[in-house]
Amino acid sequence: MIKEHSEKSSTLSELATFYIGDALCGLDILQVQEVNKLMQMTQVPQSPECVLGILNLRGQIVTIIDLGKKLGSGKTEITGDTRNIIVNSPDGPVGLLVKKIGDVIQANMNHIEPPPANMGDVQGKYFTGVHETSSSLIGILNLDKVLCIDE
Amino acid sequence: MEIEDDEILQGFIEESLEHLADIETDLLAIEAAGQNIDEELVNKVFRAAHSIKGGAGFMGLTTIEELSHSIENVLGMIRSRKLIPTPEIVNVFLLAADQLRNLIKDIINSNEVDISSHITPLSSIADGSFEQPAAANGVASDTNAETVTEQTPPGPLPEKNTTTGIQGKVDASLRVQVSLLDSLMNLAGELVLSRNQLLQSINSTDLRHREAVGQRINLITSELQEAIMLTRMQPIGNVFNKFPRIVRDLSSKLSKVIDLTIIGRKVELDKTIIEAINDPLTHLIRNAVDHGIETIENRRKYGKPENGQIILKAYHAAGQVVIEISDDGKGLDGEALGASAVKKGLFSVEQVKAMSAKEKVNLIFMPGFSTADEVTDVSGRGVGMDVVKTNLDQLSGQVDITSEINVGTTISIKLPLTLAIIPCQIIEAGGERYAIPQINLEELLRIPAAHVKERVEKVGDAEVVRLRGHLLPLIRLADVIDIERTYLAPDTSQYQIDRRKLLHDRRGMKSPLFKDTDKPKIHPPVIDNPSQRSVTDRRYTASSALNIIVVSTGSMKYGLVVDRFLDSEEIVIKPLGRHLKQCKGYAGATIMGDRRIALILDVNNLSIMANLTSIDGSDRAADVAREEEKAALTKIEMQSLLTFKSSEKEHFGVPLNQVERIEKINRSDIESPGGKRVMKYRGGSLNLICVDDVSQVEPLADHDSYHVIVFTLCNKLVGLLSTGPIDAAEVPADIDDTALVQPGIMGSVIIDGQTTMLVNISEIAQSLFPHWFEGKNIKVLS
Repeated sequence: MIKEHSEKSSTLSELATFYIGDALCGLDILQVQEVNKLMQMTQVPQSPECVLGILNLRGQIVTIIDLGKKLGSGKTEITGDTRNIIVNSPDGPVGLLVKKIGDVIQANMNHIEPPPANMGDVQGKYFTGVHETSSSLIGILNLDKVLCIDE
Repeated sequence: MEIEDDEILQGFIEESLEHLADIETDLLAIEAAGQNIDEELVNKVFRAAHSIKGGAGFMGLTTIEELSHSIENVLGMIRSRKLIPTPEIVNVFLLAADQLRNLIKDIINSNEVDISSHITPLSSIADGSFEQPAAANGVASDTNAETVTEQTPPGPLPEKNTTTGIQGKVDASLRVQVSLLDSLMNLAGELVLSRNQLLQSINSTDLRHREAVGQRINLITSELQEAIMLTRMQPIGNVFNKFPRIVRDLSSKLSKVIDLTIIGRKVELDKTIIEAINDPLTHLIRNAVDHGIETIENRRKYGKPENGQIILKAYHAAGQVVIEISDDGKGLDGEALGASAVKKGLFSVEQVKAMSAKEKVNLIFMPGFSTADEVTDVSGRGVGMDVVKTNLDQLSGQVDITSEINVGTTISIKLPLTLAIIPCQIIEAGGERYAIPQINLEELLRIPAAHVKERVEKVGDAEVVRLRGHLLPLIRLADVIDIERTYLAPDTSQYQIDRRKLLHDRRGMKSPLFKDTDKPKIHPPVIDNPSQRSVTDRRYTASSALNIIVVSTGSMKYGLVVDRFLDSEEIVIKPLGRHLKQCKGYAGATIMGDRRIALILDVNNLSIMANLTSIDGSDRAADVAREEEKAALTKIEMQSLLTFKSSEKEHFGVPLNQVERIEKINRSDIESPGGKRVMKYRGGSLNLICVDDVSQVEPLADHDSYHVIVFTLCNKLVGLLSTGPIDAAEVPADIDDTALVQPGIMGSVIIDGQTTMLVNISEIAQSLFPHWFEGKNIKVLS
């Protein structure tokens, strides 16, 4: 909702970028609560495939979703670069595990192109659009789609 | 209707509802007082009606104003003693108060509601034209109609169905005493101060100072926690107060006279619990009035006082709140309930026979026990009792019934004080920690490795454990939540994956009967003595003991097998995110002292996930019992044998349970004074025998060393000389007792392709030492 709002009020917005597999993706920075590298997760047996575990974030229980698994590009290996992007969903914070964090870039929201059928291994339905910079393409994630529960 | 200022309206609604809640109790008190009018009480109701009228007038709520005005008028007359409050008049009041409450709850549409049915009797009372008998009848039937609709159990009360958005908002606010808020503020201040101290002390090197600050913060935190919990506490009177009305209405409808005594209104419970307990309690009270207390005629017949008694009591006990509803009615007939359960096919006749009287009475909580077609004496209370139980289960409450025919019934409900912080038992499975609410916990059971085999059995697909004569179904936590089974390796103290399929699978690695296909065949070590074996085989080490948490979910008990028991801790329940809602086995999560998360197990759902239901469980238990009976009758059981050799070719076996111990000796240890073979053993002499002493078998082979199998017979020890290898085997006990029977040999079995003769050790001893068995022995082994 914040996203729609900002799209209308200002054409310029900032994207937090990160890598899912090899694909460079972005989220409107206003949707991001924080980025951390807490990896002391508690596994939840019988949880959906993409849920890596739960994490104690200052007294709140945060579900961590492996974005690689969720978006279909495969399991994210935990290295020194892996980070959790904590985003706020209607019922509490959710953590998105990404392979690597990129820069924050400015993007003109008027120049967003519709997403292709897929980007790398990631299906197009998870994107709201694609932003092109001089050096790369950034897929802008549709947070609602990413957080929705697969049946 | 347009209402400008939402906040003032909210305030009015809240205030009015509070007034109305009191009005009801007070009106009943006025009714009870009758002619001896308590002015203070009437004044209180009067003031309440007056405040509502004032507020309504201010906000343009004409209907509410009119109704409260009429009530106020009549009350004024009672106050000035122009009118005696009869039950009929109070009835009119009560109905009017109900109407007023409904109006206030649906305040937006209140001005359109027709209230003439209330205004007319009220004004006729005021001008003296109120014809009591006629009107009373009309009103009484009116009341009946209402209570009948309210009576349809289970489910929320009709009032609740009509609640609107505004009502929801009203619920969301809470009244807290100013003194409590002050103390909270004070504590928050203290916390800030301590934080400043902490920050200072972190930079300083004074360790003692730091400790002091830590302790202070510790104290403040617990005080703060308690104070915050207190804000959520509400007196149970909020629920209890509406029961006098319910009992009054229902009993007059049923032509019964019932005195309701309420004890412990001030007992406090968490707000959420207070709200949720309303429906089950109402149901139980109605049941007590409707089915528990007999009609006046019946009471007379049994020589009871005409007035039935219902006592509603709340009190604290062992950190929980107990609510008791007792009546002096006809009680529950356990036999009839049992018969009904059989008729419904819930239990077999035998099962019911095996039940205690209390268990039979508690049958009414069985889902499916209560159906609408029960209108007989037997039934009565059954209606919707399982719903009551389900409701209470959700609150982690427990319910129990004691009843005696014609004396009465007492239903007691145990509830936790709060649901936010609960004591839990922490356990470990698969390397992760889990919490089990203490309220579900019955006991912790640790079966030493050596006893697992005899106490754990397999019935069908289920494993059961013997616990004080009862069979308890077992569930492995690792299996239910689908994680790798692990065990604590005794040598490394680390978790390793467990491949054993069955808990009671304790067979030795080299047993010839059971070859493990997934394990490389290990060369059978020669067992020198059993104690050595128990060190080398992890199945018999201390860490291989079975850790079982016996939990109860209300309707059933089962054992949860876990890797390790940890501490008991007070934990704070935190909800899981929506991605994990599909995992039914967890009630939430909590944060442990080391800041990691532990999942809270929902033992009820776990039992469902494991396909364990209470009837199922008892069926299985019954199956086991039957099998046992059969086994006891025919004496065919699996038998553990110790196998050995005496000569090179022949194989022998003795029942393992007869064996005391096994000693390895050298040939030179054997002495033969007086033609009898003995050896020195524990400071005395041990008689040594051979199988060939009595039986027609090949003589003992010539070896440098022998194994002496020590038996106890008639309180004396005797050693059987044998040669290795010695092994243990489990065989079906259908012994061939024809082919090879001879003195000293009771039969034979085939073990691993070898015919093994079963030695009858007592027969051998008897023929060698007949005097032992006559009881006139002289030689005693020390």
